[in-house]
Amino acid sequence: MTISQTDYESSSAKGETIMEIRNASVSFDMERGDSRVLDSVDLDVHRNEVLGVVGESGSGKSMLASALLDAIVDPGVLTGDVTYYPKNETPVDVLDLDKQELKEFRWEQVSMVFQGAMSSFNPVRKISTHFIETLNAHDYNVEEGMERAQQLLRDLYLDPERVLDAYPHELSGGMKQRALIALSLILEPEVLVMDEPTAALDLLMQRSIISLLQQIQERYDLTIVFITHDLPLIADLTDRIAVMYAFEVAELGPTEEMLERPAHPYTRLLLKSTPNLESPIDEMQPVEGSAPDPVNVPTGCSFHPRCPLADDTCKMNDPEAYNVDATHHVHCHHWEESADAIPMTESSTSVESPTDRIDRPTTRATRRSGDQPLVSLDDVEVHFEKEKGFFDFFSDPETVKAVDGISLDIYEQDAVVLVGESGCGKTTLGKAAVGLQRPTGGSINYRGEDIWDVHDSGGSGTLDWGEIRRSLQIVHQDPGSSLNPHRRVKTSLEEPLKRWHDDLDGNDRKQRILGLLDHVGMSPPEDYFERYPHQLSGGEQQRVAIIRAMLMNPDLILADEPVSALDVSLRVEMMDLMIQLQEMFDTSYLFISHDLSNARYIAEKTGGRIGVVYLGELVEIGPPEQILHNPQHPYTQALRWATPELELAAGMGDDQTGGSPIRNIDIPDPTNPPSGCHYHTRCPEAREVCKTDSPASYQASDAESHRAACFRTLEDHEYWNSDSIVDEEESFDG
Amino acid sequence: MTDHTIEDLLSDDEPTETPDDGDARTDGGSVTSPFDVVSQYEETRRDRYRKLYDAYVYAPVSIIWKDWRARIGFTIVAFYLLMGTVGPLLVDEAVVAEGPALAQPFENWAYPLGTDDMGRDLFSQVVNATPEMLKMITSGALFTVIVGTTVGGIAGYKGGTADTVLSSITDVFINIPAFPLVMVLALLLPIGGNPWVIGILLCVASWGGLARAIRSQVLTLRQEPFIEAARAIGVPTPKIVFKEIIPHLMPFVVINLTNAARRVIFEAAALYYLGILPFENLNWGVTLNLAYTAGAHYRPQALHWFIVPMVAIVFISIGLILLGQSLDRVFNPRVRARHEKTTEATEDPEEGDGTNTDVVGGL
Repeated sequence: MTISQTDYESSSAKGETIMEIRNASVSFDMERGDSRVLDSVDLDVHRNEVLGVVGESGSGKSMLASALLDAIVDPGVLTGDVTYYPKNETPVDVLDLDKQELKEFRWEQVSMVFQGAMSSFNPVRKISTHFIETLNAHDYNVEEGMERAQQLLRDLYLDPERVLDAYPHELSGGMKQRALIALSLILEPEVLVMDEPTAALDLLMQRSIISLLQQIQERYDLTIVFITHDLPLIADLTDRIAVMYAFEVAELGPTEEMLERPAHPYTRLLLKSTPNLESPIDEMQPVEGSAPDPVNVPTGCSFHPRCPLADDTCKMNDPEAYNVDATHHVHCHHWEESADAIPMTESSTSVESPTDRIDRPTTRATRRSGDQPLVSLDDVEVHFEKEKGFFDFFSDPETVKAVDGISLDIYEQDAVVLVGESGCGKTTLGKAAVGLQRPTGGSINYRGEDIWDVHDSGGSGTLDWGEIRRSLQIVHQDPGSSLNPHRRVKTSLEEPLKRWHDDLDGNDRKQRILGLLDHVGMSPPEDYFERYPHQLSGGEQQRVAIIRAMLMNPDLILADEPVSALDVSLRVEMMDLMIQLQEMFDTSYLFISHDLSNARYIAEKTGGRIGVVYLGELVEIGPPEQILHNPQHPYTQALRWATPELELAAGMGDDQTGGSPIRNIDIPDPTNPPSGCHYHTRCPEAREVCKTDSPASYQASDAESHRAACFRTLEDHEYWNSDSIVDEEESFDG
Repeated sequence: MTDHTIEDLLSDDEPTETPDDGDARTDGGSVTSPFDVVSQYEETRRDRYRKLYDAYVYAPVSIIWKDWRARIGFTIVAFYLLMGTVGPLLVDEAVVAEGPALAQPFENWAYPLGTDDMGRDLFSQVVNATPEMLKMITSGALFTVIVGTTVGGIAGYKGGTADTVLSSITDVFINIPAFPLVMVLALLLPIGGNPWVIGILLCVASWGGLARAIRSQVLTLRQEPFIEAARAIGVPTPKIVFKEIIPHLMPFVVINLTNAARRVIFEAAALYYLGILPFENLNWGVTLNLAYTAGAHYRPQALHWFIVPMVAIVFISIGLILLGQSLDRVFNPRVRARHEKTTEATEDPEEGDGTNTDVVGGL
């Protein structure tokens, strides 16, 4: 993979180059072979641009970030050239710097924001100490530096006095991440390298940070290299995008080009596989196969085993950079045919109206709202008391209202997707619904009987506890930890059969398990049967976890973010599998997701409902068309805004393009939720009455199952006569 | 990882799809399509035994044999076991004046390690004391580990009142000064030199620390999703504790097992040396005591009298430590999987490259 120098010189004519990577490779010497985690990468970073680097996990994108700072961890070896061009000064060869120069180069010229803000701060030191130490270490004037720090924090919508005086644990994840960005800018670097800076954060916070970055970049004349696995997230932010696959750059071009006319088959497939809100769900297809192992990268084009266009040329020759035009390079022999071979169906920018979808049934929930619900939650409350310290003996205990009065009916073959920010109580609600968390108030009824009454009475009624336990199952978020690492696939899967079908002998059990393994695409099943979890990939582990739940033949499965730990290209495939299993086993799903696009995919395909949870309350529930295109609650509108689009802001309504529909980036403290409507502190429509009165759940639109907890859905409520409490000054972005 | 796509699956399974029979299926009685698949695979009894042998005999032994610590430790412990079982049959009990007093070691092969001041063969003394020591070690170490793990595991998993009660009992035992208690109990109880009882007696207060440590480990493990999944399946509590949780703690438990064994050896030797424990036969500790009273520590010609029982004690201790340290590899599923013939044989090479071999470098 070599590129003639002239290609890049012509391309960089437009923008001045600030960093240049030539033929950079990183290899780890492992006993099973040389592991190449970065393979002859050439890349230019232009001054004052935002360059997005996109790739699946294990595509070498973090190595690229480390290479920019010559910070490859031992025993990795970096070869090639990394050159830094300071303004009006001689270029610096980064790999030749000695220890002292490197120390100055990092942070003062190029600084980095890491993924886990939680672990980037020392928990026993105040935030201000981190700033002062950084300034001291680089011999900067501390007083001037701290003034700059305060300004930076203000620019990031943080209260400098409060944040600087706080210990890391006193700040929320989003605040910590923003403080970390401020810290990385304290020495006024030219280039900021961000390695998945928002991956651990909620959608709303991610989106807010992205818009803050846009402002910061302009204000401080920064060059940003933004590394992420989430292509839609950065579509608005970046000037150019580089897509990485198998430790190489597969395609590089201006953002608009990359989204509208991607030339590499991988880019096209990746775009198609990404769940989003606009494109019809039938167009979303998974990318087949999986990413290669660093020791054993396929010869020729590394994508050829998964590429629909691959021929013998691809197997033999590693494609060089082909120029689509002056600024758009692609490493594919067949890029000219890719557009025809993998059509992207130009999705219309206009919002598809719900009536267009004749092929989809009207929601099943509506259809059978007269039936008896399978599981019915009635005013469920789950409150956790914080442990009291010895000296708090006489004070009232602090309670966290994780779930605060939620009622929800789940019918047979139903699918309800709960969406909300982390810490809003959606997982607790889910666990309460499947009887794994005892509610502190309200009741949970399974086929009309209160499950905790049955549990306590030992099954005097028509149902016993074992029956309920069998009917309500769970699939966890992290497939790695939902299987016992000490037990083989066989042992893990035999457990439910041994427990509930003790009439089966070993061979029968095995037959059933093998049949199911084969069914979910793990073949040959005899092979997988004997494996330990660590011998499976993440997707395979999740399949085993789903089979384990299915073997119980349950009525309701709580799927707690079942796809968020998987690679983007695998998500659609996994969701399809779950939907298909639902039809086969006649189960209902209670999905939990923080991502509206995944929620939409599931809900639309199954004809289910989407429920939006905020601070322990269900603020809006309804069929996906209504939630997405006619959201009634301001919080749902905010979530809708935060869900990234692939179409460069074209999918947003006019009222949303201007900026964020929330007034306050940070979620209120759940131990002390706001009075009245919990959302009034962030709501752009809040009025005086929202501070005092708590809205009930009202019919929100013509769709029968669409309900929202907001006064604005009522036409004759005193809300409309109440004074607005929105102060334009305090509005974030205003 | 697989070549199957959803399309394949859907088309494959259309014929097996059964119509929705709605209300009829309210319980788990009837199960549909994938279960009706008839398997072409019959596992015979022989296959099953082969797999059991592979998992429980072949793999652990082959893992152990790759580690030098294990080889040495295993050899030492096996040597002591032989000495304790076959030894007494081959070596006669030491009798007074079978040789000259205080003969030096390696002088005469009738008494290879020399004799004491009454002309008794030291080698015979060491060998004939071994069975009794091994019994003590076994009972003491097993008692510590079983009680400690059970109490700690149940306290940690159940929580609530069970935890409070069990933890309080544990704390009481932790805070009892062990050595004086053992001395008092040894004098009070009619143990009459029964090595099994002595072993338990020596460990009566030593399980508390293990129980506490196990409890804290279980507290974190019980939050794991796979434990929650087991609870959701309805697996009974004892099975969750002993089949799902404790295997994770086995390396820790085994280290404690060997440490408890060493503790028994040391305490037994110490108590015999002090003359507190009742005894009928000569014993490593008793021999040390006799050597001390005879002033072996300042009489060069009697020094071997001191050294021989000490070496016996030190070597079994080293053997146990090495064995314990190396056994944790046996409990590591990654290492196990690599050493099993059945798992390896059925693994297709492509798959193995992607998922399994990343740990091969560890050897």
